Amino acid sequence: MIRRLAALSRKELRQLFASPIAYVVLTVYVALTGIYFFQHLVSYNQLLFVYQSEGMTGGGFDQGTVPSRINVLNEVFVPSAEDFGLFLLVVLPLVTMRVFAEERANGTDELLLTSGLRPYEVALAKHGVTYAFVLLLLLGSAIYPAVVVLRAGLGMEHLVALVIGQLFYGCAIASLGLACSAFTSSQIVAAVLGYAIPFVLLDFAWLSNTVSEGVAAVLREVALLSHYGSFARGVIELRNVVYFAGVVALGWLASVASLELNRAR
Amino acid sequence: MSAKIEAQRVSKRFGSIVALDALSLEVAAGEVFGIIGPNGAGKTTFLRILTGYWLASDGDVRVDGLSVTHQRFAVQARLGYACEQPKLYSDHRVDAFLRLMGALRGLSGARLRGAIEVAVDRMGLEPVMRRRIGVLSKGFRQRVALAQAILHEPPLLVVDEPTVGLDPAQQIELRRIIAGFRGQHTVILCTHQLHEAEVVCDRVALLDRGQLAALATADEIRAGGSLEALFLAKVGTHSGLAS
Repeated sequence: MIRRLAALSRKELRQLFASPIAYVVLTVYVALTGIYFFQHLVSYNQLLFVYQSEGMTGGGFDQGTVPSRINVLNEVFVPSAEDFGLFLLVVLPLVTMRVFAEERANGTDELLLTSGLRPYEVALAKHGVTYAFVLLLLLGSAIYPAVVVLRAGLGMEHLVALVIGQLFYGCAIASLGLACSAFTSSQIVAAVLGYAIPFVLLDFAWLSNTVSEGVAAVLREVALLSHYGSFARGVIELRNVVYFAGVVALGWLASVASLELNRAR
Repeated sequence: MSAKIEAQRVSKRFGSIVALDALSLEVAAGEVFGIIGPNGAGKTTFLRILTGYWLASDGDVRVDGLSVTHQRFAVQARLGYACEQPKLYSDHRVDAFLRLMGALRGLSGARLRGAIEVAVDRMGLEPVMRRRIGVLSKGFRQRVALAQAILHEPPLLVVDEPTVGLDPAQQIELRRIIAGFRGQHTVILCTHQLHEAEVVCDRVALLDRGQLAALATADEIRAGGSLEALFLAKVGTHSGLAS
């Protein structure tokens, strides 16, 4: 099984990097995260300057003092993590839309699924390679928070937690996108669903005033963002890890189910 | 090493459309068995059920006693499949593709290299080994499809429409290759070319509207005139699309 998985994963990697999408997504993601990180850094510096300038003393602040809530964690790390999460949501469906749908459209799924491969092996290889690509994206953009961690003396645990959180979050979005790709032979349909489902699951705060408290609590637990935020603060909570692992498992199971359903159609 | 096949009242329905209707047939080990019929007769549907790609709505196919419905991976380990309009990874080079398919079949190291060498030799692929599949002619793509199907020396070879779109020279060459499998593998050959079935196959099943319309040996076909005469007698000239 390991040998078959390795062979199939190599094929997936080859196909991923044979198309320009992977390079475009990598470049755009690393560039966007860099620009927005720099923007938060500049805003933070400006804020520090304002607080520390003489002009603020008349406004009620003592000269040279900065409120404790104004720190690199709150002003740079947390908003950057939110931006990075949003960018992942924007770029990942472009990668996942192809993975199963192209195979089905070209008919090569027939080649794979009659060669003795189990559907769960096909899904494992495709999901695994996509998650490895998510990790590559994150490592490419981790340089920015890494510099801040080193220069601001934040503590390496913040960087580790941020990357782990992004990895969980990115894999969850990718997993949903892959499940969408597994149910169609149209890459466009896969992309539209790959955007729509994570966007719906992103946050239910807008609904909280229109539903009962119990339902609002459930929706909060279901929302992607409510499990993502704490990672940027350097906290890895088990319930968040379990949530993201659950979404990833769900996407993988849906992919396997789609391959089996296609057989029984 | 070849396999015996028994199809027992195999049906396949897509909603209200009946693609296969209680089809039963037996293929002896080592036989080259042809399946012919008009469009929509259920030929490809039967092959997809036989290879485990689709699940039969009713009935079952057994390969050497193994049920395709319940033991599909064991059956798939015993068959090689070259599907219609060969579905291959066109961005792969021929050598990389054969390595991939061999590895997916559980071959590695010297066994894989040896299997590729044999398949390349039998299919005459040496001149195109380092070329991308996407740029190959239809004839060579078909040979690549057959090469990947025989890598693991399966007892059963399933070949769907191997000569569609090929020029006469390529058709003759492919028929020679498929006829060469006789005795080494059981071959199920699905084709639209009546002449091809007549020349290559030991027996031929004629499907029409999902049912077995006729079953004849090569001798019986010759005695009756030709396969074309049998086809016209059993099916007529309707396209089969109405089914």
